[in-house]
Amino acid sequence: MNMERIIFLLLFGSTAIWFAWRVFMTKSMIRSALSLLASMVAIGILFLVMQAEFLGVLHIMMMATEMTIMAIFMMMFMMDPGGMGDMDMSHQKKYSSVFAFLSGASYAAAILFTQWPITADAVPAPAQQNHDLGIELMQRSMMIFETAGVSILVAMIAATATALSFNSVNK
Amino acid sequence: MMTELIIVLVIAAVLFGIGVYGALSQTNLVMIMMGIELMLGAAMLNLVAFWFYLHPKTFSLQMFVLVVMTVMALEAVVGFGVATQRFRSKGSVEVEEAADLKE
Amino acid sequence: MWILLIGLYLFSVYFLSVLERRMVYKKWNFAAPFSTLAFLLVQEDVKPHQRDRIFYETAPVLFIAAALMAVGVLPFAKGFIITGLSTGALFINAAFAYIMVAIVMAGWAPNGVYSMIGGWRFLAQLIAYSMPIVMAITATVMRAESMSLVNIVASQTHLWNIIYQPVGFVLFYVAAMALAFLPPFDLPLAPGELAEGVWAEFTGVKLLLFRLGRLMLILSLSLAVTVLFLGGWEGPLLPGFAWTFIKTILVAASFFLCGQYVPRVQHDDLLEWSWKLLTPLALFNILWVGILLLL
Repeated sequence: MNMERIIFLLLFGSTAIWFAWRVFMTKSMIRSALSLLASMVAIGILFLVMQAEFLGVLHIMMMATEMTIMAIFMMMFMMDPGGMGDMDMSHQKKYSSVFAFLSGASYAAAILFTQWPITADAVPAPAQQNHDLGIELMQRSMMIFETAGVSILVAMIAATATALSFNSVNK
Repeated sequence: MMTELIIVLVIAAVLFGIGVYGALSQTNLVMIMMGIELMLGAAMLNLVAFWFYLHPKTFSLQMFVLVVMTVMALEAVVGFGVATQRFRSKGSVEVEEAADLKE
Repeated sequence: MWILLIGLYLFSVYFLSVLERRMVYKKWNFAAPFSTLAFLLVQEDVKPHQRDRIFYETAPVLFIAAALMAVGVLPFAKGFIITGLSTGALFINAAFAYIMVAIVMAGWAPNGVYSMIGGWRFLAQLIAYSMPIVMAITATVMRAESMSLVNIVASQTHLWNIIYQPVGFVLFYVAAMALAFLPPFDLPLAPGELAEGVWAEFTGVKLLLFRLGRLMLILSLSLAVTVLFLGGWEGPLLPGFAWTFIKTILVAASFFLCGQYVPRVQHDDLLEWSWKLLTPLALFNILWVGILLLL
């Protein structure tokens, strides 16, 4: 029982939930993308609270770029990116909120009724963690790591090929 | 320790619920992708919590988080590729107008 | 000692603003920063119509916070580092990524055409140029076999990284200039073309925060160049912190000097060079360092 950690977890957890809620409740699309960024940063800080330093910093770094790119795509593709026209961009609200509540509640129930085998092992120091993660990546999980890399390459090529306009191909 | 783990997991469950709501209720492709990102974020939070409270010596869990991050990036790349082409050819990325995909 | 370091830091910020002015007006004016400070503090806060209120208020604060956050993990001298993160090299990337978020927010918030163009331009510019930055830092991390910046400085005791991996240094230097939108890459501001772009709609204290944040960003980047490639606090005779500050100021001065003689880069050229030239070069640099390490 670590009071400090509980306070941080509650604080940043509620920040993450609040901003995640704002994502779908605001009319302005840039605001919604940057709320998602704030929520993701709060998740990254939760990683840091749980002493996963590398993953936390990596997550915070990646999300900055990813969510800003999301913001520009929102602005390009939406009819009303500034939210000044007060358009409603949602459908089947009742059905989706019931389903969301059911899935969230069932997970919460599963969490509460499980006996978690908490371990007393101490977490390695951050430098040791980086080392161990590197060894894991390059030995046991190397195949998975390489697969992830190759799938990024494939996705890049596929996405570029998909996004090219028909006219430029025909030229 | 148990309380802490339950707090983190409940936070992740709530985030997952919000993500499900977003993915189901939004009509715009990019907004749906944001809901999916939120769900993946909740999954990552779970994984890190399991690593920290249950298996701090096993680094496959951290490896798994890296894979989920890759999946997030891939989802964004492919989604934006499809959205760009859809917008080019149809002028809209609203999913309610995507019924022509079944033809 | 900490007070001395903070004093030196503030003096460097002051000196950089004098230097920047010298480059524009070709005249030394040592009182100008103070008069600008006083002017911006009392200037009327003109707010654009129908702005995005939250972003308009938070963007300048986020900008200066991101510039300062990078300083938090960079060592000034042996044992003088605010937070010795063991993932420091990754953390400075993370901090610099939020410069982009702040500029995009600032470009969107005032509901103005020029600022919006400036903001989205900077998004493209920074995504293109964060690749060389990340990969150049990766190469220095490979040599030090640690992501802690203290260890990176320690790995350069015998040979500075600028000689060990010159390609990486050039990449980082150019990308740092693009990140701080200094003259050849000042596309988000582009005086004469976009009329101060992103900052056009900000006045008073908010503009002050932007300008101060930019100076601090330049200082953070010069400090990063010093730590990653120029051996940090290593040097004969003088104490460590003195060497750090001398090198940092020299790097910042060279940023300004380079910008003075190069015309502004076109936007499409900027992106093309980054993706087609700098990113492959950065990969080559990683290969180069890897081969050197194995020899």
